[in-house]
Amino acid sequence: MFLQNISSDTTKVIQDTLSTAAAQDDVFSHLGFNLSNLGSSDVVLTVLGYSIVFLSLLLLYIVFFNLAKLLNLNLKKKLQKAGKQTPADDDLGISGETIAAISMAILLDFQEAHDFENTVITIKKVQSSYSPWNSKLYGLRQNPKY
Amino acid sequence: MEFIEQLMHGFFQFFQYTGFANVTVGHLVMLAVGSFFIYLGIAKEYEPLLLVPIGFGILVGNIPFFEGVGLQLGIYEEGSVLNLLYFGVMKGIYPPLIFLGIGAMTDFSALVSNPKLVLLGAAAQLGIFFTYIAAITLGFNPQQAAAIGIIGGADGPTAIFLSSKLAPQLLGAIAIAAYSYMALVPVIQPPIIKLLTSHKERTIKMKPPRSVSKTEKIIFPIAGLLLTTFISPGGLPLLGMLFFGNLLKESGVTKRLADTASKPLIDIVTILLGLTVGASTQATTFLTPASILIFVLGAISFMIATAGGVLFAKFMNLFLKEGNKLNPMIGAAGVSAVPDSARVVQLMGIKEDPSNYLLMHAMAPNVAGVIGSAVAAGILLSLLM
Repeated sequence: MFLQNISSDTTKVIQDTLSTAAAQDDVFSHLGFNLSNLGSSDVVLTVLGYSIVFLSLLLLYIVFFNLAKLLNLNLKKKLQKAGKQTPADDDLGISGETIAAISMAILLDFQEAHDFENTVITIKKVQSSYSPWNSKLYGLRQNPKY
Repeated sequence: MEFIEQLMHGFFQFFQYTGFANVTVGHLVMLAVGSFFIYLGIAKEYEPLLLVPIGFGILVGNIPFFEGVGLQLGIYEEGSVLNLLYFGVMKGIYPPLIFLGIGAMTDFSALVSNPKLVLLGAAAQLGIFFTYIAAITLGFNPQQAAAIGIIGGADGPTAIFLSSKLAPQLLGAIAIAAYSYMALVPVIQPPIIKLLTSHKERTIKMKPPRSVSKTEKIIFPIAGLLLTTFISPGGLPLLGMLFFGNLLKESGVTKRLADTASKPLIDIVTILLGLTVGASTQATTFLTPASILIFVLGAISFMIATAGGVLFAKFMNLFLKEGNKLNPMIGAAGVSAVPDSARVVQLMGIKEDPSNYLLMHAMAPNVAGVIGSAVAAGILLSLLM
């Protein structure tokens, strides 16, 4: 009965599957190295595409390189106005190892990580919900005698 | 007697529907591939969050069944559950959502503090365009060639997004190739980096990145969106979501939204994307010589992208003063594949000199690579659609 219900949907499914497979075959049928496949438009697209990618990221570099300077300038001006000292150089000469050690110390402090546990009672009371499967009453073979 | 005949008839009818009656060699090969992916994900821990769903998806997609009766089981059967889930891949819905999550979990401060490293992310996009040329010479049409080339961007969502628009018939093979190579970053990149750099170059210590103000962090996604999408509007769905996610993170006032985007949302989409991409590799449509060619081209694309980043870092060093020089290994992180390629650079750096920490430096070209590959996808989409 079920086999007889081949509907129009089914036909569509078969057609879809066959067309997908055919598309794959079609893709492969003309594959093979041939330098003459490469047209001038492909070379133009490659050069143009890569140049645009490069230029857009170059633009990002230029903007953020100058933005940092601009913001730093404002900060320095504000500090100077307030009569405070400004650092001569952004580089404080701190090595990567020192920064890593300081960062780890701060992280541990925030996480309150330590070698010894605080005095916390860790016994957890387990409560299991009622189930006739583990009920003692149902495990009795006869009613208890009082 | 009649009863036995009916019984036998019923059994044979049932047998026709089982996997045993419909299995082909192709199915068995794909089931082995799926199992191998799961093995790589669990035993070797190569990108388990991707390989386990994809591997299991391959198993799901290659369970043989009787196809002629409209059971609506297969991923390519209109109206089936898998087909409905696959809709997000076919229409390019999942990739922008993944980008939203990536934006919400990525700290761009390494890039903002040393913006010249963004150029390494641009240089590493060389693989995309080189492979485009290679695929054209092999007989693929320009749309298919662009979709194959984007594998070199080492960005699964970008590859899926572009191939769903330009070459949907190759989507399964391209997605699997892109994610496979992303998972194999620790295997593919180190030999290329070693080949192109000397020991002295690999031990170059870079200046620690400066601290980045909150203002800069907030300006970055807004300026980044405007600058990149004005040039490449085709990348808007990806770049828009990436920078939006990052603004949610950096603004400091939308923590709940940032948390949702970077945790539950990206996890849900990763599950759906991984499973359906895996299931899309049905043996009948996937096991073709074209797929093998796509895998080969993808590998070449990935290698050239890595080499492009490393060589450009060396080129930049020619113009940089002593003390400001780049460790050329970080160029390899420009291929995107966040954060694996940066992690590979960090591990290689520590191997050469245990006191050389390159992770933060490598993260800059790494995130620049994400932007670069999305821009490249947008450009290819605009030029070829």
